[in-house]
Amino acid sequence: MAAQPVAGLKILVVEDEAIVSFLLEDMLIELGCAEIWLAGSVAQALALLRDKAPDLALLDVSLAGEFAYPVAERLVQLQIPFVFATGYGRKGIASEWQSRLVIQKPFDQETLVLALAEAIGG
Amino acid sequence: MEHRGPLRVVGWEGMTVSGNIVEALGVHGDGAASPIVFLTLKRALAAGAGLLDSLPIGVYTCDREGLLVQHNRKAAELWGRSPAPGEALSESPMRDVLATGRPVRDREAVVERSDGSRATILANVDPLFDDDGTLIGAVTCFQDITDFKRAGALLRDQEQSFRDLLEALPAAIYTTDAKGKVTFFNRAAAELAGREPKLGEDEWCITWRLYHSDGMPMPHDECPMAQALKRNEAIRGAEAIVERPDGARFPMIPYPTPLRDADGKLIGAVNMLVDISERKKAELQQKALVDEVNHRVKNTLATVQSLAGQTLRGVVPNAVRDAFEARLLALSRVHDLLARQQWECAELETILKDVFAPYRQGRADRIRLGGGAVRLSPRAALTLAMVLHELATNAAKYGALSAPEGTLTVTWRVEESSQNRDLHIEWQEAGGPPVEVPRATGFGSKLLKRGIEQELGGAARIAFDPEGVRCTIDIALPLSDG
Repeated sequence: MAAQPVAGLKILVVEDEAIVSFLLEDMLIELGCAEIWLAGSVAQALALLRDKAPDLALLDVSLAGEFAYPVAERLVQLQIPFVFATGYGRKGIASEWQSRLVIQKPFDQETLVLALAEAIGG
Repeated sequence: MEHRGPLRVVGWEGMTVSGNIVEALGVHGDGAASPIVFLTLKRALAAGAGLLDSLPIGVYTCDREGLLVQHNRKAAELWGRSPAPGEALSESPMRDVLATGRPVRDREAVVERSDGSRATILANVDPLFDDDGTLIGAVTCFQDITDFKRAGALLRDQEQSFRDLLEALPAAIYTTDAKGKVTFFNRAAAELAGREPKLGEDEWCITWRLYHSDGMPMPHDECPMAQALKRNEAIRGAEAIVERPDGARFPMIPYPTPLRDADGKLIGAVNMLVDISERKKAELQQKALVDEVNHRVKNTLATVQSLAGQTLRGVVPNAVRDAFEARLLALSRVHDLLARQQWECAELETILKDVFAPYRQGRADRIRLGGGAVRLSPRAALTLAMVLHELATNAAKYGALSAPEGTLTVTWRVEESSQNRDLHIEWQEAGGPPVEVPRATGFGSKLLKRGIEQELGGAARIAFDPEGVRCTIDIALPLSDG
């Protein structure tokens, strides 16, 4: 990866599966992110957003039986760009969020960085 | 009543013709002149009394007192005896005519023959007048309608039993006339509609309200039944949403079918309404289930990807980890493809485009694809996608896709015969660095061999020509696949 558009950024990762979160964390570290905050549920993510100010977020849509949409709404309010990640693909996203960036799990680092770069407009 | 002797025809003097009634003079046995009458057609005169006997209906005449003047052969047959002229007759229609002087039309009566058997007859009686307008007697035409009545009763019984049958069916059925007015509905129909349809008033459909599948209102005069009647043809494959008066809605399939008489003229239509809520629910459930399975497979693949990353990190060269991840992601992509088609099939061209997606950026024109639409079974799609991924990876590392001038052409065609449908795929690289035959058999070559030949029962050949790798793959497609 020649340019690292997310290098130095603080990023919120909302992912309920620990093993998958290791992978995301590794990828983001490799991409040079300055700070990575992990949340495993909507409540954890909303709590984190009260204290922290990430530049960017990566949201798993389905979090152990709940949808991540309340987090997405909060991110919109805070004007923090984000990317959905889901095993369902785009059709698994609620209609009001269809226009958002979605990456299909599993994905490689290149797919992730392209989506994140697009989210921050880079 | 004065009873005089039998009458006999003595001549045709003073004969007048008025309509079909011919009057003639006759004398009683005692010599007293009396007008006698009988009915026949004008032509009957020429043919004589024989014609009267050949008529298929019973005819007799009586005088003013109701005494028999004459009868034909058929009348005797129907009575079961041949009464003598002058016998007093008791048939009431004739009595009525003699009393009122007015004709009687289509009167049904049951007569009992001398042998005790009974017959239903239909009688028409006309009074007979002389030139002065004096009632002189009556003529009766009658016919046996016993069989006709029996057939009618049978028909009514049959119709009733068909109605009972329709009524008992658990399917919602109703009929309309040619103008669409409801003429019949069964219990199941009223239950489905959630209302009591009004016969002769409700038009086109027995339901309260109808909507298209997208929720737009459907006026009754545009409903499938109305179309069937207006176009005089059965409508199939339509779907509508029914709203009951209580507001409940459910999806339904109608089966409107025109009814025609023996001449083919449209006389109405019959419709059966099938509530498909359960089917729709089952379809949604199945779809949700497939979605869930797909989602879990994807999450599991993501977990495997992470486990491999965690396990291999720092232990093996990154290239190994990357190769593993690329294979896993190739498998994942073909899963997506199949999931989008509900795991029914996948298009070969779509698979190829997916495989080449990582290599097309900025050099799309260097990869050429050519061939018609070919649907592959999930099994063939998975194996072929993995094989193609290996070939593409190899081309990107060592072959045509590793050099700026290299090109890759993939063409395919289907050869069909009565027994076989064979798919031939040709992979041709050119313009890359000189090709060397690999020293060891890698995963790609093994998969090509076993995947295509053992798993799919096809044939695969790979040639490491110095000017470019060449690969041909032949697999048999199912015959039924369109």
